[in-house]
Amino acid sequence: MSETAAILIEGARKTYARGGREAVRGVDLHVTQGSVHGLLGPNGAGKTTTLKMLLGLVRPSAGRFEILGQPAGPAARANLGFLPEQPYFSPQLTAGQAMRLYGRLSGLEREAITSQTTSLLSRVGLEDQGNVVLAKFSRGMLQRLGIAQALLGEPRVVVLDEPASGLDPVGQRDIRNLMLELRDAGQTVLLSSHQLSEVEAVCDRVSILNRGQVAAEGPIEQLLGVAGQTSIRARGGGTLPASLDGTISDVAVSGGMWVFSVPDGAVRFAVDALDDDGWALVSVTPKRDSLEDYFTRLLAETSGEVA
Amino acid sequence: MPRRIYAIAASVVADALRRKVVYVVLLFAAVMAAAIPLLPSYGVGVAMGVYREVALTLCYVAGMAVVLALSANRVPGEVERRTVYNVLSRSVRRWEYLIGCWLGVLVTMFGVLAAFGLIVFGLGWVNYGQPMWTLWQGVFAIWLEVGVISAFAIAVSSITGPVVVATASIVFWMIAHARAGLLSADQFAWKLYPSLDTFNIINPVAHGTGVGAAYLATMLVVFGAWVAGLLLAGCVAFDRRDL
Repeated sequence: MSETAAILIEGARKTYARGGREAVRGVDLHVTQGSVHGLLGPNGAGKTTTLKMLLGLVRPSAGRFEILGQPAGPAARANLGFLPEQPYFSPQLTAGQAMRLYGRLSGLEREAITSQTTSLLSRVGLEDQGNVVLAKFSRGMLQRLGIAQALLGEPRVVVLDEPASGLDPVGQRDIRNLMLELRDAGQTVLLSSHQLSEVEAVCDRVSILNRGQVAAEGPIEQLLGVAGQTSIRARGGGTLPASLDGTISDVAVSGGMWVFSVPDGAVRFAVDALDDDGWALVSVTPKRDSLEDYFTRLLAETSGEVA
Repeated sequence: MPRRIYAIAASVVADALRRKVVYVVLLFAAVMAAAIPLLPSYGVGVAMGVYREVALTLCYVAGMAVVLALSANRVPGEVERRTVYNVLSRSVRRWEYLIGCWLGVLVTMFGVLAAFGLIVFGLGWVNYGQPMWTLWQGVFAIWLEVGVISAFAIAVSSITGPVVVATASIVFWMIAHARAGLLSADQFAWKLYPSLDTFNIINPVAHGTGVGAAYLATMLVVFGAWVAGLLLAGCVAFDRRDL
């Protein structure tokens, strides 16, 4: 029996009445429970509109939206936490007051709000800021508070729209760790991000949107793997063994470390050749694109443009 | 459901109480009320009536100013700043949000008008040596009318910005008080005209003995009908809106 998807979107479409612009054109998304799923795409790809339709902030023109098997209405959203891109709060509130407000809106009891406010503010690094008015918060602190409010009520599904926005490198690392902790605890994270390194670091699967459509979808390893090629890293002399000429490609060298690709069938031959020549083998791994390269190439292909 | 509405209303009240406009208008109106006895003297018995009339008029004007300030930008401001995302992405229905906003404004106005009522009631007692209990009827009627104006403003603000809301609310208020100038009571259209004159009891309160319980009940019914109709229209419009 297949497990109920944490988030299921089928045939999502959005055409804005004003101007007739088609922002989303038949997007399908299946987010497995307990996973971190990345939603990637350039500006205007339809990521935020897709999320807004799921959250009931934008009326879909067509499509099916489900959260944990329930139609994505207000009742289903009780199981969902959302961090909007650049979250805003009333600047007169303190962090504690904001958390209490959202706790009440999430249907939490007073005791639960108090205990979760303390633990979540601590979890996002705002443990001493509960009584500080938000007008005095930096953008990064507001982002942290936004994450804390998204986790109120221990939602089973968390949707994060650009969670690292406005955070310093330490904050970005903290957020990555937080997402992995959520996954380890069995919660599902749908991460919309421009930061490819962030997506690459934490996501199990990604969906790449371009021009309102899904351009690619799958496990990140599968998307980035280069079929039939193996990457070899080795330290050795000033030149590679002559016997490898014509076999290797994509050669790069830096600080005495050589990196190059060989066809899968020539791995044994290349390793032997390096051994015979006295080279130290550092690693032999399936060749993998960087997400940046893959992303750029995919967008160029699906846009019909030269990257 | 009521819990979410109360939570939204409570946040609206808390937000309103932090706004200076509420206190500035209240203070200005109170100073004006304190100056009423300085008006040119009238014959015995007339002075108290004039005091009640001017005090209620001040209360009415101050109430209208504050309710427009609180209602016109409530929803548009939240949509523009996107604070509404943190609310509506939870299990909060849009109609709950809109009604919570209106309820918050209504409760705030209750506090504002009660405070002003206390001031003019106290000043009247000190100046004229006797309590003017009927003033509270007038304050109650004003509260009901600003509640209707607030419902109109919030309904319109569900689809447009604060400037249009404020303008539309003032036009609505003018039209709703223009029945006597446009129609006569024997015309059929008189009964259908969208009038707020029911809430205008300044004259009987200032110069008479106030209104009876039956009339107060009628005001409540009219208030309920107006608010229900306006908020229903606002909820339908807001439900269809892309945020």
